[in-house]
Amino acid sequence: MEFGDESSPALAFEKDAFELTAEDVYDISYVIGRDLLKISRTGDEVSDLQFRIVRVLEMFETLVNKYNLSVEELRMERDNLKSELDRIVKESSCGQATHTAGPNQLVVDLTDPNRPRFTMQELKEVLQERNQLKAQLMVAQEELQLYKSGILPRAEPAMVEVDLETPAATEHSPATINDAKEEKTTIGKLFSFRRK
Amino acid sequence: MAKKTYDLLFKLLLIGDSGVGKTCVLFRFSDDAFNTTFISTIGIDFKIKTVELQGKKIKLQIWDTAGQERFHTITTSYYRGAMGIMLVYDITNAKSFENISKWLRNIDEHANEDVERMLLGNKCDMEDKRVVPKAKGEQIAREHGIRFFETSAKANISIEKAFLTLAEDILRKTPVKEPNSENVDISSGSGVTGWKSKCCS
Repeated sequence: MEFGDESSPALAFEKDAFELTAEDVYDISYVIGRDLLKISRTGDEVSDLQFRIVRVLEMFETLVNKYNLSVEELRMERDNLKSELDRIVKESSCGQATHTAGPNQLVVDLTDPNRPRFTMQELKEVLQERNQLKAQLMVAQEELQLYKSGILPRAEPAMVEVDLETPAATEHSPATINDAKEEKTTIGKLFSFRRK
Repeated sequence: MAKKTYDLLFKLLLIGDSGVGKTCVLFRFSDDAFNTTFISTIGIDFKIKTVELQGKKIKLQIWDTAGQERFHTITTSYYRGAMGIMLVYDITNAKSFENISKWLRNIDEHANEDVERMLLGNKCDMEDKRVVPKAKGEQIAREHGIRFFETSAKANISIEKAFLTLAEDILRKTPVKEPNSENVDISSGSGVTGWKSKCCS
């Protein structure tokens, strides 16, 4: 009868320390209190000890409460993050389902300022133009070099037109009529480049 | 341009996998310089270098192609005008060597039948990272009847020799006559016309 009475609160002593609840602490207190009562009946010597034990049990109660609260907070935090992750995964897979229509198609992020937006044909044309201009620049540089070094004397009539572009060449001596004709061809070509 | 500074214009083309050093090979030849930073070529670019062979001034217009597959349609449209093609692989990159057959097929498909071909195994200064033995390069070149050089743009090994040899091979089968700038097709990029100095007419 006596054993059966104390069996349920005494079970708290068997539990894992991290499983303890405030209830268990109360059970422990109950059992210890009852045992103390048995001892104190014989004399008053144990009353100091009794107070200290009560104090320790109170501290124990605080620690168990605090621990359980922290565990509960962490559990809630974890559940929140889990549901957030699930939501994001679901959203992104939904997004992909609508964008990737085929295995050979590419998803383009319209908010990406560096996204592809020109066709291969457009690139081809730009490159062609770049290379044409580069070629013309090389021709012009080479020609300028020849004028500068005095190999190609400049003709007066031609000078008028090109002066704006190559003022450096004006210091050269006037050329023969023959050369002047050739200059006109050169300028004609230069201008025909520009019209393109 | 009424006057030409050269006797012949040869159009060359560089092809091969991305990152094997085509642009560096060209930069070494044209500017005698080397840059370690890798900037992927966008589509197609070119450089000009005039050399003298057998008493002739030869203007080399060298087209540098992007190795990346995504520029394939742009780059292959430049094969047709090329008189010489340099196929470059990287001796430290097995994949670039395996792809030689793919590039050779591209030449067969898109270039002129009589185009002069040459194989270059670049980065031969990196002996410690080599994965393609020189003998394998020589073998595949022999199988296809083309010339082969191991080069290094970085260490300036055999770069000039390769270009001059290719130009010589083209010169050898070029009929001797005055150059004609009209056979230059600007739409495929070779808009460079020249003029010959004629100072004392």
